[in-house]
Amino acid sequence: MASASTSKCNSYALENESIKMVSQDGLSQDLSESVPQLPGEILITDKEVIYICPFNGPIKGRVYITNYRLYLRSLETDLRNLRFALKQEGHSRRDMFEILTRYAFPLAHSLPLFAFLNEEKFNVDGWTIYNPVEEYRRQGLPNHHWRITFINKCYELCDTYPAVLVVPYRTSDDDLRRVATFRSRNRIPVLSWIHPENKMVIMRCSQPLVGMSGKRNKDDEKYLDVIRETNRQISKLTIYDARPSVNAVANKATGGGYESDDAYHNAELSFLDIHNIHVMRESLKKVKDIVYPNIEESHWLSSLESTHWLEHIKLVLTGAIQVADKVSSGKSSVLVHCSDGWDRTAQLTSLAMLMLDSFYRSIEGFEILVQKEWISFGHKFASRIGHGDKNHADADRSPIFLQFIDCVWQMSKQFPTAFEFNECFLITILDHLYSCRFGTFLFNCESARERQKLTERTVSVWSLINSNKDKFKNPFYTKEINRVLYPVASMRHLELWVNYYIRWNPRIKQQQPNPVEQRYMELLALRDDYIKRLEELHLANSAKLSDPPASPSSPSQVMPHMQTHF
Amino acid sequence: MILTPKLTSLADVPYRSTLTALSGKVLCLHLTGEIVVNEVNFVRKCIATDTSQYDLWGKLICSNFKISFITDDPMPLQKFHYRNLLLGEHDVPLTCIEQIVTVNDHKRKQKVLGPNQKLKFNPTELIIYCKDFRIVRFRFDESGPESAKKVCLAIAHYSQPTDLQLLFAFEYVGKKYHNSASKVNGVSSGGGGVWSGAGSGSSQRTPLFETYSDWDREIKRTGASGWRVCSINEGYMISTCLPEYFVVPSSLADQDLKIFSPSFVGRRMPFWCWSHSNGSALVRMALIKDVLQQRKIDQRICNAITKSHPQRSDVYKSDLDKTLPNIQEIQAAFVKLKQLCVNEPFEETEEKWLSSLESTRWLEYVRAFLQHSAELVYILDSQRLSVVLQEEEGRDLSCLVASLVQVMMDPHFRTITGFQSLIQKEWVMVGYQFLDRCNHLKRSEKESPLFLLFLDTTWQLLEQYPAAFEFSETYLAVLCDSTRISLFGTFLFNSPHQRVKQSTEFAISKNIQLGDEKGLKFPSVWDWALQFTAKDRTLFHNPFYIGRSTPCVQNGSRKSFKRTKKSYSSTLRGMPSCLKNGIISDQELLPRRNSLILKLKTEPLQHTDSQNSGVDQYFKEWFSKPVNLHGIILPRLSGTHIKLWKLCYFRWVPEAQINLGGSIMAFHKLSLLADEVDMLGRMLRQHRSDPLEACYAELDQSRMYFRATGPHDTLGTPEFLSSSFPFSPVGNLCRRSILGTPLSKFLSGAKIWLSTETLANED
Repeated sequence: MASASTSKCNSYALENESIKMVSQDGLSQDLSESVPQLPGEILITDKEVIYICPFNGPIKGRVYITNYRLYLRSLETDLRNLRFALKQEGHSRRDMFEILTRYAFPLAHSLPLFAFLNEEKFNVDGWTIYNPVEEYRRQGLPNHHWRITFINKCYELCDTYPAVLVVPYRTSDDDLRRVATFRSRNRIPVLSWIHPENKMVIMRCSQPLVGMSGKRNKDDEKYLDVIRETNRQISKLTIYDARPSVNAVANKATGGGYESDDAYHNAELSFLDIHNIHVMRESLKKVKDIVYPNIEESHWLSSLESTHWLEHIKLVLTGAIQVADKVSSGKSSVLVHCSDGWDRTAQLTSLAMLMLDSFYRSIEGFEILVQKEWISFGHKFASRIGHGDKNHADADRSPIFLQFIDCVWQMSKQFPTAFEFNECFLITILDHLYSCRFGTFLFNCESARERQKLTERTVSVWSLINSNKDKFKNPFYTKEINRVLYPVASMRHLELWVNYYIRWNPRIKQQQPNPVEQRYMELLALRDDYIKRLEELHLANSAKLSDPPASPSSPSQVMPHMQTHF
Repeated sequence: MILTPKLTSLADVPYRSTLTALSGKVLCLHLTGEIVVNEVNFVRKCIATDTSQYDLWGKLICSNFKISFITDDPMPLQKFHYRNLLLGEHDVPLTCIEQIVTVNDHKRKQKVLGPNQKLKFNPTELIIYCKDFRIVRFRFDESGPESAKKVCLAIAHYSQPTDLQLLFAFEYVGKKYHNSASKVNGVSSGGGGVWSGAGSGSSQRTPLFETYSDWDREIKRTGASGWRVCSINEGYMISTCLPEYFVVPSSLADQDLKIFSPSFVGRRMPFWCWSHSNGSALVRMALIKDVLQQRKIDQRICNAITKSHPQRSDVYKSDLDKTLPNIQEIQAAFVKLKQLCVNEPFEETEEKWLSSLESTRWLEYVRAFLQHSAELVYILDSQRLSVVLQEEEGRDLSCLVASLVQVMMDPHFRTITGFQSLIQKEWVMVGYQFLDRCNHLKRSEKESPLFLLFLDTTWQLLEQYPAAFEFSETYLAVLCDSTRISLFGTFLFNSPHQRVKQSTEFAISKNIQLGDEKGLKFPSVWDWALQFTAKDRTLFHNPFYIGRSTPCVQNGSRKSFKRTKKSYSSTLRGMPSCLKNGIISDQELLPRRNSLILKLKTEPLQHTDSQNSGVDQYFKEWFSKPVNLHGIILPRLSGTHIKLWKLCYFRWVPEAQINLGGSIMAFHKLSLLADEVDMLGRMLRQHRSDPLEACYAELDQSRMYFRATGPHDTLGTPEFLSSSFPFSPVGNLCRRSILGTPLSKFLSGAKIWLSTETLANED
């Protein structure tokens, strides 16, 4: 476990923290050698401490604070790093140094995030992974009914949307501007995904600005009808409002609301009962309470139930299944929104797309999915995570993206061969969601990232992953085309993601590596060894017999060949 | 249409050669001695509660062995051909029936049918609740009301026999003896053991422990010294609930044992189960009921066990009655679990699923047995003390604990043959009361699912250490099902003596000449060919298993697992080099003394008394090291590790099925690879021996159900795979429409469901 490889360094990083470089140079040479460091990482201070480990009691050690991490080295005989120390969600930092506070929350101290100081180099550039035009082309867009518009090129139409959008061919840019006035934060309905055969689409947007008075907007109504008409055969457009209906009604008071039957004749609205960011935040807090520092053992299952975390996971998955089913069965195109269309909406569209399109189940496909539905469409990562911000009671914070990754994990548990990536891939993404080592999850929207020239000044987390893909591959992956993946969203199958939420507890430590995966890898190696030796024997024999058969060039060609010859 | 396409020869199966043609389309196979008691036509088997659209039409037959439903449509619902050779797709063995409910919806009447009861109304509906959690519902709207009533009464009568000798197995064996009067044995379960034949190529004899030599071999296998096989119970002269042969401390003479025996409950003298390579022994013992003699006898026994220990170590006594849940509590937990998994509407139980599951206490009990057994492993392995399991009768909880300890400690018992011999040794031969506990005669007060609990605890270990077991979870589930088929002598009796006594009586009444035999020989469950084809039996094999001789490659070099007999002691834990990976190697390099876990002296949750901290320390140390799959394995016991055995409990619930999902997907993928590796290995060996004359015969043998068709098999995944595979909930009752979109699983729909409890009180 005492590995200092770059891929593991993230684990030492503090949650929600990133640190600045200061000119003060307090590091002595020998120390910098013993503490793992990233290029651009600088030691700020170190001090002897006694660490009160929640699992093992007090441990003498030396704490190092760099501009990236807090690092504790135990002074007791071995070189093992107690890296589980401060990683737990929402861990209290009350006995930390003031200096730690400064570097942990650089934004509050007008210091830059570590991502801007990181000088790591990778042989792959993760920033090039996602090109929206290419992704839409992969989906077969533009086509007769859908066009790519650059109306938002300078983020004028909607400052939280990406520059490239796909809209119905028949709708003019002027129409779009009028629709924007009726949608919260101008987040108009745009295409996320189109079914390659039946051409049903998944659209995403924010809530309509109906308000208490029940305002209507002809352009918005017409726009939704145009969307419906891109598929002649469907009589109604399905609208999934992710919220519980009570919440949707309550939103009218603040000018929002939902599509009423009177105004939208050709649409059918259902609520998916997914709760808001505050409920999710509190739920995860309860999960933390039952697993940290001690696991609630006596009534584990009912404690787990009382957090409602899995119930929320179930509702999100159920919602996404409904979206996927409508589209895949060809019953109807679907419009998804919540209030602003950047939290629950992103969860639903991205999960539905993951169920519908096997491309997104590959490593690169999943990276594209995250770049597209989450990062480019303005999930407010900065606000939800609070990168470098000290106000951890901020009501804007919420583990919405974590919840999405949890849902993906649940799916990967139910379909162990359907995903190219493994659990480590998902955990690495989550680690760097918080680490600020990479620019990927910084800022709230594309326009802000452009202003900050993020792609030039920071490294993408996909650079780290794609330059060492083998580590993140699921050996059981079986590539499939066109298979819709419907998980069973039942409490009977949903599980707490122990390897993520309780990974720092030494009592829970799972067998690493996974014995099933390991066995598979061993057999793969054995197969290759056998094939090689058969090949050698075969060559030797053919030489002996002076009967020159075509020598196989790759293992995959060996077998049929041998079956005829032996 | 023949239902058994994989059947190679009828000699494999105990069928009479007469195949009865029914419905003009489907062949119904009958066993020797099987008689159709009653049948009714135009019956509808209900599939979904909210619609009749998927219902099946056919004929309902009650025989003295099973309920059969022969569909008019000859196409099986199952897309794959995995099936029990004794049973059709819709069949239920009579001993698998838990409860029979008849309903007349016009008159709004319902009745739980007991044996020899009258039915005052003509049933429109028959609901069969099965012990394996299935629910089968038939409707008689189109059938003759009188014949419907007759068939219901017949089922009620034949599934609830009043006497052991009325169970089908007797009829079957009786007919077998008549048919083959010249042969000594009617069937293949000779006294010398049963060839399990779980898979081709690896058949090994399962010792039944009916003979002196089986016990003697087991003593030698474990390397135990100071123990001997004792024959004083030959002819069951001393105890009727002990085997004829059992193992005792060498220092106890037959004469002593004879004197002590009346003092023990059931005259069950202490007997040996197993010995660790360090000499510590596992012993089972009933209570000494004679209060005056108690101390003296106890002392003598303990001294004898101490003498049999090479280090003369003390004896550790574990009073199971005081430390573990009793059989009634276990039964109550199981009833609740069944209620939760089966009877309640699927959606309504969703919200409170976790707490409801917890309140059944089933998982708590699973954990209690695992924990207690693991603690005994510590005593045997680390404390080097012999352990005596004490229980009043010594034939319930101690079966489970003794078996579990041995599964954890001895890799032999994690092979198929070893596991079967363990069940013979710790359950069948020493008088686990299968007849009462499985409730074959429906006298419910003695029912308790201890054997299933053992399979469940074994499953937990299998789940945690998938490469440590030769068998798969399918094997465990099928084994559980086999306890509910009244054909195998294995799970039919309360003791070996009962088999001899009852079957001798039966033989006399039927004029069967037994000759020298001690009672009738019933088929053994270990003769798996009676139930499954060779191909289907390959599903019992766990492709993840790393056998001792399985070669394994790391970094290009080939290594074999080699171990001496003693290496399964954790003190000699050897790490097979191929199990190492980067991370573990790092740890290996660190000196053990400095390991993190060893330093945990300030453990906040640590128990204060020395015994417990010793256990904790032992566990910590064990978990800090890489697992030796051929040594001791210990269970992880936290709430997050003890899981519900979904294949066993959800397999008949259509709503819980993950199509093309579940662990079978990885199993399938690995099977293909393992098969390919096997094939390559065989080619390599043949090639070496004589490349020019290498024959292909061996190439057809495979351990795997899923076969590779070539290297890098790209044929794709069979579409019938699901989380329930190889079982199929298709055709079983579903509280929703089963076909159609997944939406129907979550949305709307009325449900009418009858809970057993409300029904039980109605007439």
